[in-house]
Amino acid sequence: MSLAAGALELPDYLPEHLGGVAEPAPVDEVRVRLTPLAFGRASQMLHRAGARFITLLSARWPEPAIVGAFAMRGDLVVLRAPTGGADLPTYTALGPWWPAARWAEQELADRHGVRPIGLVALPQLTHPDPDALDHAVEGLDVFSIPYGPVRSGIFEAIQFLIETGGEDVSRIHTRGFFKHRGLEQRFAGLAPTQAVHVAERIAGISSVAYALAFSQAVERAMGVTAPVRAECWRAVHAELERMANHLDVIAKQAETTALSVGHARFQILKEQVMRLRAHLTGSRFGRGVIVPGGVRFEGRISPGELLKAVDGIERDLTRDRRLFLGTASMTDRLIGTGCLPRPLVEEYSAVGPLARGSGLSTDARHERPYGDYRRLGLQVVTQRGQDAMARVLVRFGELSESLRILRQSIDHLRRSDVELAAPLPLRGGGCGFGWAEAAQGELVVWVELRDGHVGAVHVASPSLKNWALFDHAFPNDVLTDLAFIEHSFGLTPAGADR
Amino acid sequence: MLAWIARGLAQGRITTRYPRGAEPPPPGYHGPVAVLDSERADPALAHLCPTGAIAVDASGGLSLDRGRCIQCGECVRAAPARFAFTERFETAARTRGALVVGDVDHGDERPARRALAQQARSLGRSVHVRHIDTGSDGAEEWEIQALWNPHYDIQRLGFFLTSAPRHADLLLVTGGVTDPMRAPLQRTWAVMPEPKALVAVGTDACSGGLAAASGLVAGGVDAVLPVDVYVPGSPPAPIALLHGLLLAVGRLREAVRA
Repeated sequence: MSLAAGALELPDYLPEHLGGVAEPAPVDEVRVRLTPLAFGRASQMLHRAGARFITLLSARWPEPAIVGAFAMRGDLVVLRAPTGGADLPTYTALGPWWPAARWAEQELADRHGVRPIGLVALPQLTHPDPDALDHAVEGLDVFSIPYGPVRSGIFEAIQFLIETGGEDVSRIHTRGFFKHRGLEQRFAGLAPTQAVHVAERIAGISSVAYALAFSQAVERAMGVTAPVRAECWRAVHAELERMANHLDVIAKQAETTALSVGHARFQILKEQVMRLRAHLTGSRFGRGVIVPGGVRFEGRISPGELLKAVDGIERDLTRDRRLFLGTASMTDRLIGTGCLPRPLVEEYSAVGPLARGSGLSTDARHERPYGDYRRLGLQVVTQRGQDAMARVLVRFGELSESLRILRQSIDHLRRSDVELAAPLPLRGGGCGFGWAEAAQGELVVWVELRDGHVGAVHVASPSLKNWALFDHAFPNDVLTDLAFIEHSFGLTPAGADR
Repeated sequence: MLAWIARGLAQGRITTRYPRGAEPPPPGYHGPVAVLDSERADPALAHLCPTGAIAVDASGGLSLDRGRCIQCGECVRAAPARFAFTERFETAARTRGALVVGDVDHGDERPARRALAQQARSLGRSVHVRHIDTGSDGAEEWEIQALWNPHYDIQRLGFFLTSAPRHADLLLVTGGVTDPMRAPLQRTWAVMPEPKALVAVGTDACSGGLAAASGLVAGGVDAVLPVDVYVPGSPPAPIALLHGLLLAVGRLREAVRA
C-alpha cells in the first residue's frame, strides 16, 4: 500500500495511512488530525509521495495546534496536530529533509516560539541586519557585495549578499523581512468585510489575488458560496491583475537589456491595463471590489466596452510580442540565464511562472479550481527551458490565456443573475484555508473566525516560497545577470515580508 | 531594431500635457475622500474608519485626515451624506495638518510653500530623484515607476532618476518605516547634498496606514525625518505624484488649479 502509486485521486485511507483520523472538511480539502509526534512522519510520507509543501502555522482555534498544508493530486491535505494546552508545541522538524519548509519553520520559531526538534537554524531570517556580512566563501580576491536594502532604481527593499571574485557569483544569499509590518496581526478583531482592506495591502501589486484568497478562506470557513456573477467579476479583476504583473516583468526585462523602445511598448500596455482597471473599479489596483461573500459593485463599464478594450490590448500585445521574441539581443541575454533544474524547483515546492518555466504544471486555478475557473477550462502554460527565457515565455503564454479567460468570463457575466454578494452569517465562526493564483504563484490564506469576526490570519505567500530559490539561481551566471534573474522571478518583497 | 522604431513612431503622442493641461481621472475614480457636511456629526462616525482618520470634536465638528485615509470607502458607503470620493488626482500638501479636511482651520500654507520654492530655486530644471522603500505594500513603487513611462514621461519636466543618494536632490520615501529600514533611511538622507527635499509617498509613508497599529512601523516618515511634501493615497496615482514632485520643487504654479 503506497501513496506514490499512480492514482489521480487521493485514497480514502489517507488519514489512517498518515497515522491520524479524518476530520470533516470542505470540498478539495482533506483534514487529518494527529499527534505532534506523528506530524513529522506524516509530512515525510506526503513528501515521498510527491506532495508540494505549502505552509506551516500555529493555529489557536478551535484549539492550539500545529497545522501543515500540502498540495497533492488536486487536493489540499491539511495536517492538524493539537498540542493540548499550555506547553509550547513540539514536533520533528521538516527542514532537514525538505528545503521548502525551512523558511516557514524558522518564521514559526521566531514569531511564535514553536521550536521543532532538529530545526535547521537560519539566524537573522526574520530580523535582518543590513550591515552584517557573513562570509561563507573563503579565498583570495573573493569579496562580498551587500546589494540593498536601499536599491538602485525604484524597487522594494530586499538585500542580496553577493560573494564574488569579480564576475562569477560564488554565492548569493537573499535577505528579506526588511518590510515586515505585522499585517497578519492587523486582521484580528475586524469584521471580514473590513479585514479585506488589510489583505489588499499585504502585496499591493497583487491586491486582487490577496483579497480573493482571503475572501474565499472566509467563505469556506463559514460555508458561504459567492453568487455566479460575483465569481465572473472576480475572474475578470484577477486576470487583469495578472496581465499587469506579467507585462511589468516583461517591460523590466526589456529595460535591463537597454531595449528602450521595447521597454516603452510594454509599459504602455501595462498602463493601458491599469487605466482599464481604474475605469472598471475606481482603483488602478482593483481595490475595494472583492469582499467576502462576493463583490461590492458591478464593473463601471459595460461588458461590451470591456470586450472592446480587451480586443485593443490583444492587438497591441500580438505585435509587441512578435517584435520582442524576434529581437536577438533580447532573447540571447535570457536564454540559459538563471537555470533552475526541475528537481530543485520541486524540492523547494516553488509555485507560479517560476515553477511552470521549469516544467512543473502547478497552478491553483487548475489544481483546485475556484469561482469561475471551474467553468473556464484553463490551459496551464508550461515550458521546459528552466531559464529566464522560459519564464518570459510562460508569461507571454499566460497573457494570451488571460485574454481568452477574460472573453469567457465576460460572456458568463452576460448570462448570469444580478446578485452580487451572499450575506455572511452575523455571528458565524470556523477556520480554514482559502487560495487564489496570484501572478507570482499560488497564494494560500488561513483564517480563524469567531463570533463573526476575524481572529488569526496566516498568509503563505508565493513570493516567500520562491525567494528561497534565488540563492540557487546562479549556477553558471555572472554578477551582471542579477537584474535579469531577479526580474524573471517577478516577486514582491511586500508579499513575502507581510 | 528598425521595426521597434517604426512601432514606436506609429503610436503617435500619448504623453499627458499635465501640468500644462488638466488630466482628469476616469468617472467613478476613488480619489481623495471629501467631507461633504462637517457639522453636528454623530461621534460614532469616527468608528467607521479602520485607520482612525475620522475625528468628531466635542461640538460635533467632523474632520478627515487624508494622511491616514486608505481610501477603503467604508465611510463613503456607510454615510454617503457626509463623505464622498472626489474625482481628482491631486492630494499633495506641504504640511501634515493640511491633509486634514472638514471642520478644521488650516492656517496659511503659502509661507511654507514659498520657503520650499526658495530652497529649490538653485536646482533649476534638472532635479535628480532617489527612492527608498521603508515598508510599502509595493503598489507605490509601481506608480513611481510609471512616471517614467511614455504616458507621463517625467523627464520632459526635468526630473531624472539617480541611483546614488549623493547625486540626489529629492528623496521619495514609501512605507511607514519598519525597524530594519530606519538606519538605512537616515543614512540615505544624511549623505544627500543640500538643498534637498523629502517627499513621503503614499498613506503608509504619511502615517503608517493600516500597519500603524501593529507597532512594527514608526508610523510615518515624519517620525524619523522631517518631511517636506506629503502625497497621501493608497497608492497615489502617477498624476498625484507628479503634482507632489512639482510642489516639492516649487513649480506648482505651472500646475492647473483643481
